Amino acid sequence: MYTLPYLILARLHRAALDARRGDRTWRFVGYSVLAGVTAGLAITIGLAFAWELLLLRLWPLAIVFGIVAVTPPVATVVLRQVAVPSGRVKLAFVLARVSRPGPDPEAFALCAAAWAYARRPSAAGETWLLARRDARDPLGDAEVVMTAFLALGHGNHDTARTLLGSVAMLVEEHPAVRELAGEWLAIDAAERGEWAAVHEAGSAVRYPASPLTLLLEGIAARFANADAAPSDLELLARWLVAPHRRATWPLLRLRPPVASGSQRATPPTATDAAATTGTDATDSTDPTDPTDDPDAVGPTGTDGAAGAALARAITEHLALVATAGSPTAAALATTVRAWDLALADGDVFAWLFERAVYLDAPPGAVDRALREVATSVADELARTADAARLGTPAGATGAVGSGLSRRLRHGRLDALEAGFTRWKERAELHKRAGMSAPHRHGIDEWREFVALETAYRDACTAGGLDLRRLAFPRAFEAGNAVAVWLWNTLKQYAISHAISRWLLREALVVGDAQAIDLGYTNCALKVHTRTGVVVDVPVR
Amino acid sequence: MTSDARALADNPFFVLGVAADASRIEIERAAQTLLGMLELEFADVKSYATPVGPQPRTAESVRAAVAALRDPYRRLVAEAWARHAPTVASTAPPGVAPPAGVPGLRRRLGWEP
Repeated sequence: MYTLPYLILARLHRAALDARRGDRTWRFVGYSVLAGVTAGLAITIGLAFAWELLLLRLWPLAIVFGIVAVTPPVATVVLRQVAVPSGRVKLAFVLARVSRPGPDPEAFALCAAAWAYARRPSAAGETWLLARRDARDPLGDAEVVMTAFLALGHGNHDTARTLLGSVAMLVEEHPAVRELAGEWLAIDAAERGEWAAVHEAGSAVRYPASPLTLLLEGIAARFANADAAPSDLELLARWLVAPHRRATWPLLRLRPPVASGSQRATPPTATDAAATTGTDATDSTDPTDPTDDPDAVGPTGTDGAAGAALARAITEHLALVATAGSPTAAALATTVRAWDLALADGDVFAWLFERAVYLDAPPGAVDRALREVATSVADELARTADAARLGTPAGATGAVGSGLSRRLRHGRLDALEAGFTRWKERAELHKRAGMSAPHRHGIDEWREFVALETAYRDACTAGGLDLRRLAFPRAFEAGNAVAVWLWNTLKQYAISHAISRWLLREALVVGDAQAIDLGYTNCALKVHTRTGVVVDVPVR
Repeated sequence: MTSDARALADNPFFVLGVAADASRIEIERAAQTLLGMLELEFADVKSYATPVGPQPRTAESVRAAVAALRDPYRRLVAEAWARHAPTVASTAPPGVAPPAGVPGLRRRLGWEP
């Protein structure tokens, strides 16, 4: 009487949760409501059955059935509201395990426990988690996610961000685990104001959405003025099904920032400057008495077009470096173009020449000054571009543009080659020394690969296809050696496959025939994961 | 402002607080005034305004600025920057509006202690 309806409702509850993971529309809200209703009904039936057992004075059975019936539907709520905030690592593990998260429930349980650890780090919690992780071999997405959460517990957000972002490369897939990873990435990006990244991840369906992720993606879509941005009503519905409603309510009223107007460029005047030092601006620049200062400045005059070109370049330059860490590629391109135009401008040359004559500067001073300005500007722009991971603007062939391009290409290529060489040498060292802890080598190699892949991607974005062709052979040599070692010796199939898959994708881009052939052969191997055997062969 | 835009932050004209078309006498006079005031530890002269925000001024930087402006070539380069720079800023540099970040969101949504 009770068992069948309960089982049907429990199955429906699970099916609704699974279905919403593949959806980011109104249906997501519908599935969430369905999951809530079925969970409520299942709990009611479970409790009714327990009550009947109690009336029959079978109270031990009543307690057992009550717990068995109620726990799975409420486990995730208790996990999020109690176990995680209080940092109860083992309780979080148990609750996550009984919440029926799908195949390989321990994967989600480990991540939930690591999440609790991240809220309240403790040495005992970390030791317990590491022992649990190391007992699981080979590594997959859950182990990478829980390592990221351990890094969060140490306050290392950058490592966590990189590791969680890398999960998409792995073929092993635990939907509940990926939901957690996607949620943290979305919240982290929102906190840093990177709404474009939230929108982009949502559009690319990189991770299954949790209710909180879907809410943030909706807000981000509004920031991006996307066609698929949710209406007010839909956003409200997303807010209603998401947890932490009090904390997320203010987010519904967020609007994109409006850029402040840049300051009008005006050259400093003698009066402004005199005011700074407290001297009288007119006491020594009186044009009626040139003998007062025989070696004075000469006719500085109005520098007209020259002034406009240089002023524009300097203003753009200042606006770019003032954005401290978030300059855009468009702003960099505008600055480089403004400098290239200014330094090639005939009026600028004429003005400098005139000033050089009056100042009695040595011969060749104008050319030297132009070169010096171009060099210092290119150096500074290269530092800014490096910090913001920007590339050389297309078509930048002037004094500043070509200097910037040279600095970015050489610096990044050298760093990449050194990084890949170190990686290969370290792996060979481990190989010769023999392996004592394959799981630890696995996660270490994955962290190293992810860091190098990020550097490679940034460098290639900046340096274009030419740099990619130059960098790939070293990346292939190191990556292939490590991937073979991981597969054959350490049996770390998922991460080895991810490296081979990345190498193949790059080989296809640069057109390396030998690497392409080898890549197809390696990627055709069956990948044994905890969720089953995965065949992930790219289409030729 | 970071350590970028050094050509403006360390520009001798801004260090001395004189206009880019100042005569040599004006420059020497301004330097002497500043050195005297720094010697007497006048708070007003311990920093100077630049387009990239206020910078600390020391006797050493004043002497270096005067020396730079005595050299015609170095003055030419300094002029190229100072004459065409935006208005000096005594407070924050011009920039774009900060992104709409939500500080403390990770904590409020249960992801940080």
